[in-house]
Amino acid sequence: MVKAQSRLSQQVAKPGGMTADMATQRARRDLAAQAGDAKVSLGVTIGRLEALCAAKTATAGEVYAESSVVLDVAGMFDLRTLCDAAYSLCELTDRLRSRERQDWTAAGVHVGALRLIWGQDESAAPQLKSVVDGLWAITDRFAA
Amino acid sequence: MALDPNIRINLDRSVVLLVDDNPQALEALSALVRGFGVRKQFKCASGSEAMTIVQSQELDLVITDAQMPDMDGHDLVRWLRRDAPPELIYTPVIMLTGHAPRSMVEKSRDSGANFILTRPFTPEILLQRIYWAARDERQMVKSDRYVGPDRRFKNLGPPLGQNGRRHDDLSTHVGAGTDPNLDQNEVDRMFKPARVQF
Repeated sequence: MVKAQSRLSQQVAKPGGMTADMATQRARRDLAAQAGDAKVSLGVTIGRLEALCAAKTATAGEVYAESSVVLDVAGMFDLRTLCDAAYSLCELTDRLRSRERQDWTAAGVHVGALRLIWGQDESAAPQLKSVVDGLWAITDRFAA
Repeated sequence: MALDPNIRINLDRSVVLLVDDNPQALEALSALVRGFGVRKQFKCASGSEAMTIVQSQELDLVITDAQMPDMDGHDLVRWLRRDAPPELIYTPVIMLTGHAPRSMVEKSRDSGANFILTRPFTPEILLQRIYWAARDERQMVKSDRYVGPDRRFKNLGPPLGQNGRRHDDLSTHVGAGTDPNLDQNEVDRMFKPARVQF
């Protein structure tokens, strides 16, 4: 066992800086400036998923990689509904790839839902809950 | 427990390394950290690029994505904890995950990261983890199979006068006794082996 004090611990306690409240407000403001680009980027990634579902030649691993991108980017902006839907697709493809299977119908329904959610504001989350619940019902058909 | 919004945090002089293979996620992470007051940050799109930075810069914090092609976040942290310059091997690390199957969480824990943060998260949560990483009092374990913070957390209970998140949380503060002291026979009885029926 080693007792190691990080430089970070000394720095955060130094005089100056800002309150946690101010820091998070500033972070939200800086993040909001990126939201437009992120939305476009998410649309492009969902487009790639749509293309994969149309071609039906990709492996479950390739679909997993793209759905992870949606989850990663949406997760930075706290887009919870889109994250939930992308998480369900990640879980579905993770289960399918572990069995070396693919199910384009289930993947297609997920990608259609991602596009629908992407086109809505996060304030529509309550109305979209049943859509996300439906995706999880599909994913849960493929037991872990 | 939520971070007190009035607590002061100084990250002005902290040098932070951010690693994510997705450019959009990396820019968003950079914006968040900049908002927290960090002036100097390095952005890397891969684990191998991050290794180069670690070998040439002084760093105070690493925030890395777990899943990346080629060298992922786990491999990066494992390398950092074993083969980085000695002054950096215990640098606090926050690992970000998206989809996190159990195997991934265990891999993150075993890589030596201080904290694992699953997406989606808010700026408050990320700042809280940075604060926790700065105030992390766990000792570092250095063994053949694992290098990183002690994975056992001590449950010290909520601070005196505050309610815990769970209904049965108790503070570690003992306070003054209210019941009469046990006599020696009562103490002995508590330690006496007894037959247990299953």
